[in-house]
Amino acid sequence: MHKALRIDPRDNVAVVLTELKKGEEVLINTETGSIQLTALSDIPFGHKIAMSSLASHDPIIKYGEEIGKAKSTVEPGEWIHLQNLYCERGRED
Amino acid sequence: MHSFYGYRRPQGLPGVRNWVAVISSVFCANNVVRRIVQQVAGTVELTHPVGCSQVGLDLELTAKALKGVGRHPNFYGVVVVGLGCERFRAEELADSIAATGKPVEMVVIQEEGDTQKAIEKGVRFAQSLVEQAAKQKQEEFPLSELFLGLKCGGTDATSGIAANPVLGWVTDQVIAEGGRAMFTEVTELIGAEHVLARRAVTPEVGQKILDMVRNMENKLKLGTGHSELQNRSALISPGNEDGGVTSVVEKALGGIHKGGTGPITGVLSYGEPVGGPGLYILDCPGHDGEAVTGLSASGCQVVVFTTGRGTPTGFPGVPVVKITGNTSTYERMKFNLDFNAGEVIDKGFTIPNVGAGLLQKVIDTATGEPTKAEIAMGDELFCITRSYGG
Repeated sequence: MHKALRIDPRDNVAVVLTELKKGEEVLINTETGSIQLTALSDIPFGHKIAMSSLASHDPIIKYGEEIGKAKSTVEPGEWIHLQNLYCERGRED
Repeated sequence: MHSFYGYRRPQGLPGVRNWVAVISSVFCANNVVRRIVQQVAGTVELTHPVGCSQVGLDLELTAKALKGVGRHPNFYGVVVVGLGCERFRAEELADSIAATGKPVEMVVIQEEGDTQKAIEKGVRFAQSLVEQAAKQKQEEFPLSELFLGLKCGGTDATSGIAANPVLGWVTDQVIAEGGRAMFTEVTELIGAEHVLARRAVTPEVGQKILDMVRNMENKLKLGTGHSELQNRSALISPGNEDGGVTSVVEKALGGIHKGGTGPITGVLSYGEPVGGPGLYILDCPGHDGEAVTGLSASGCQVVVFTTGRGTPTGFPGVPVVKITGNTSTYERMKFNLDFNAGEVIDKGFTIPNVGAGLLQKVIDTATGEPTKAEIAMGDELFCITRSYGG
């Protein structure tokens, strides 16, 4: 099965370690056992997959720290990238 | 404890190379510098587009960068070439380098009469310095005499989980053995400053880190605030985004892994020489060339550069070790990349396991093994930073 890496126990996203096609299953190991998710869209290698449901403006956590907020509601298995993450820092648009 | 073989200098840390540098004090002297280097093996060319028609902080940054690079321990000696009428005088550069005790010669084109005469004089100076340099033997030095520059460029999502943590492990080893290391790219620390400030050795250093990042962010806002520039305002490149890095904060949090886990000793300004052992941050924007020039001007003898997307660049006279955490990038760009940390992802190897291999690579490089960028004669990274409006 495909694998994804959760870097820090606080993270709500994982990094996919192989390219995923929509509908493919992915396994994420955690301290308390493994979590299985279904990719809701194609996800490129190295990109992020949501591990839990998020409401609009919820923090998105990677490396144990906030990397941005959700633009909209997010379902587990969704690809997290520019279309659904915003970040106020370092850009003026 | 680890050691490497280098070249003793009259003062400061040893060199890991023994080049003769030919440096222009102003861009008007670039052609003369290039002709001298073409005629003398054992020399490196340091040419740039600045040195005149500058004022204030902008001119001071040029002066500090050129002096720092001229004093670099990897250079046995230096030939400074000036024009004669420039704002940043060749004498000021030559005097600053000579204060370290290393041999310096100076050629001023307007004093010689023309470029042809300046080239001939410079060639004779350079040849004499190369002959002296060739007589010097390498000596063994402990790792505490190494000052490692840390850099990343062409970041993708593997950088934060493989290449940067592996480099961070090496940084922790170098610091544990009494050495020095420094990272920079303040534009790309935005969003991670609170994590770094917590690691500062004193509250004052922590405040310096927060102030440095805030100043950089304010300068960026000045530059990108105009409505016509909105599509030029993103700090991360399209390549970063394609590679899975979504926000500047995500890039920062992944990037700071290369500084390891230890306390942060201090913050250096551009061109400021490093002090005692420890981990430092250099105040410089994230441009690869400006950053590696700043790391070199502060005295880093070796730069280790992580890259997910793959970059071929080098710095004249300073080895730049390229490492990637992306095995597919490594396979495609082996000609340019020195080390693959991708086994952390592909094979589940531990960070210390892969890190030990990188530490050996750094020691071998310091002792004389050429990097891919040195073999390819890459010199793109010599770029002096400009004043970004204050």
